[in-house]
Amino acid sequence: MTTMLAQDATVLGACPHDCPDTCSMLVKVANGKVTGVQGNPAHPFTQGRLCAKTSHYQERVYHPERVLYPMRRSGPKGSGQFERISWDEALATIGERWRAIIKADGPTAILPYSYLGTQGIVNGLTVGDPFFNQLGATISERTFCDSGASTAYVMTVGPTPGMDPESLAHSRFIILWACNLLSTNAHLWPFVDQARKQGAKLVVIDPVKTGTTAMADLHLRPRPGTDGALALAMIHVIIREGLVDRDYVDRHTIGFDELSAHVAQYTPEFAADETGIDAEVIRTLARDYATAQPSAIRIGVAIERSAGGGQLVRAIACLPALVGAWRRPGGGLLQLPLWAFPVRWDRLHRADLATPGTRVINQWKLGAALTGSLPLDPPIRALFVYNSNPLVVAPDQLRLQQGLAREDLFTVVSEQFMTDTARYADLLLPATTQVEQDDLMFSWGHLYLTLNRQAVPPQGEAVSNAELFRRLATVMGFDDPFFQRSDETILRESLDWDAPTMQGISMELLEAQGYARLNLPAADVFAPHAEGGFPTPSGKVEMKASMAAGGNFVLPTFRQGYGELQDGSPVPALPTYQPPRESGIRDAAPGARHPLAMMSPKSHSFLNSSYANHRRQLARESEQRLFMNPVDADARGIRSDDLVRVRNARGSFVAVAKVGDDAMPGVVVAPMGYWIASSRAKATPAALNPTVLGDLGGAPTFSDNAVEVERA
Amino acid sequence: MPHVVTDSCTACRYTECVALCPVDCFHAAEDRLYIDPEACIDCAACVPVCPVKAIVDAFDLESRADELIALNRQRSRELPVIDSKTAALPTAEARRAALGY
Repeated sequence: MTTMLAQDATVLGACPHDCPDTCSMLVKVANGKVTGVQGNPAHPFTQGRLCAKTSHYQERVYHPERVLYPMRRSGPKGSGQFERISWDEALATIGERWRAIIKADGPTAILPYSYLGTQGIVNGLTVGDPFFNQLGATISERTFCDSGASTAYVMTVGPTPGMDPESLAHSRFIILWACNLLSTNAHLWPFVDQARKQGAKLVVIDPVKTGTTAMADLHLRPRPGTDGALALAMIHVIIREGLVDRDYVDRHTIGFDELSAHVAQYTPEFAADETGIDAEVIRTLARDYATAQPSAIRIGVAIERSAGGGQLVRAIACLPALVGAWRRPGGGLLQLPLWAFPVRWDRLHRADLATPGTRVINQWKLGAALTGSLPLDPPIRALFVYNSNPLVVAPDQLRLQQGLAREDLFTVVSEQFMTDTARYADLLLPATTQVEQDDLMFSWGHLYLTLNRQAVPPQGEAVSNAELFRRLATVMGFDDPFFQRSDETILRESLDWDAPTMQGISMELLEAQGYARLNLPAADVFAPHAEGGFPTPSGKVEMKASMAAGGNFVLPTFRQGYGELQDGSPVPALPTYQPPRESGIRDAAPGARHPLAMMSPKSHSFLNSSYANHRRQLARESEQRLFMNPVDADARGIRSDDLVRVRNARGSFVAVAKVGDDAMPGVVVAPMGYWIASSRAKATPAALNPTVLGDLGGAPTFSDNAVEVERA
Repeated sequence: MPHVVTDSCTACRYTECVALCPVDCFHAAEDRLYIDPEACIDCAACVPVCPVKAIVDAFDLESRADELIALNRQRSRELPVIDSKTAALPTAEARRAALGY
């Protein structure tokens, strides 16, 4: 689409990053260039605030290391040596190579790899799905984030938006569980803060000490991966001590009696032994949570990242129903309110175009898939990466590098920057930033649609993801006009504008103010499940989950809309504790082979690996650090600012030690996002991350990771 | 690096910034404000509302960045939090004009 762009203007934009907050932004343009951005003060949720990542977004747009032209590799794979070519040549090469691969091995020899480097209805999660489904390529199962929690949540309460995030202001008791709100969901904080100032108690459950835990009335630090025992013990106490809202349970849940018998084993003493949290503290937590109504639980995306992360979310999703928290505004559970948006997923994925029986590869297994470690026939011959930087976010970094170095693998990467992954491309394609494209965003953290209008022309020859797939469709001879839909058509056709939640919302309104709240009751009166009405098979909270009978699965949303060939392995129907697989940490003494548990949380100023090549953000984050407790540091002769090597059987990296209470005893913390190319030992924390998936929904187990640390 | 309040705030103390701060990181002295660098999350909401552009990302300071961060940190420890707008100082208009805003 050609937009008439003003030379001098303030354009309504929307943050494209993979964050629940999806800020409305004002983009200032002077002489045809973006001179600055600021938060849109009119937006009721984001309230004029941006964050440490995006407050100088123009530095991303005009970064000297932007990829601006199509390029062909001119050196060894991984060297980062490229020469400029034309778009025509790049597209012709892709067409030629893919056709040859399809002829020799069939289309499943081609693997797409993507996630949410850019969010948005037009250019985000699903932008390539119709193309690759039509092509017949291997289905890409993208369980990067929240898929495991989503499976557990949907099994228990169904795909409900849950409580209105803004209603947290009316909560009397708030638990932030596995969520560093001030770094990764900061625009929710003012609502939590309002509740605090009205007397609500704030509990933060996180093994790591963070800016958010500093705000808490109570900071609980379970050993990584043991939170399931804590949640189940809370259920135990609530039932044993008669704190159950019997009326709500009777009318709006199933499986209570079975759950009641099942949790007899999960005493506070059992949980204390698993988590390291005092049994009496657990009892008090359960009592306070049950009696201070309305009570709210906000779970972060980190919650799923250990062996039993899915069952943990199952247990947590039972809690609000047990105590009747759903009855009032400010009560309930907040996980992923994206289900509020009437998105036409069928139009976005076009799963109907996929070839029945097409194989699926989970994207956490990319290293194995490229190196012959998965039984694949045909093997992967071509890889197409967009919206993602697997070398920094995926586990198994060493094996992944080996796979990407394969001479017989044809790799195309669409990127804004020469990332670690892009260095391995045979063809590198330039991608636009958000100010160079149009989009309409839903959110997975609030209830507003946010419009992003293009502010400046694409830099160099960069193209949006939507335009990229229009061009690829032409090259591959897809003549269905669906593949040539304009951005404007995509954004208009991908929502159900007739849905009740869209009443009163028009493109005109979005153009005028940049955002629109879904047509739902105001947060101070909105209690979506006060009278039950859960979108589960029974219409009730399924403490005993009927969907467990079908075995483990990933929501089609996370696998190109494709529902076939699910994992299907057995799932307990009642929430059941599963201890961590690696991070036992009963013996953190040096000498045990890998005695320390490593966590690699998000950095405050990076969005996964985005912005870790920006001077401003690096100035705040410094270089790769490893936070260690004095107990573990002293035992290894390590002091602050020493260089340390962190290792396990999968790999190693080097970091600067920071000794203090940020990490609890037995746990080391390595914030993630740093790039391999600028690291000290050409490796990052992902080199140590396990490839084993969690119990539900293909979740990663990156917080269930045993390592050892020594002076480098 | 965090945001800091610079000397431009002195004798102004407009306080438009404090109501916007989501983490209550402003602290008030008689003559000006300071930002607690440990609490600031760099959301930058305060920057555009200051009438005298007194708030900057320390990264953008050409010199004395560490010194200004240290000053903001130290004074924040000594002074109370200010989280709602108050009247600007009587000297504010004159100071603003002197600063060229």
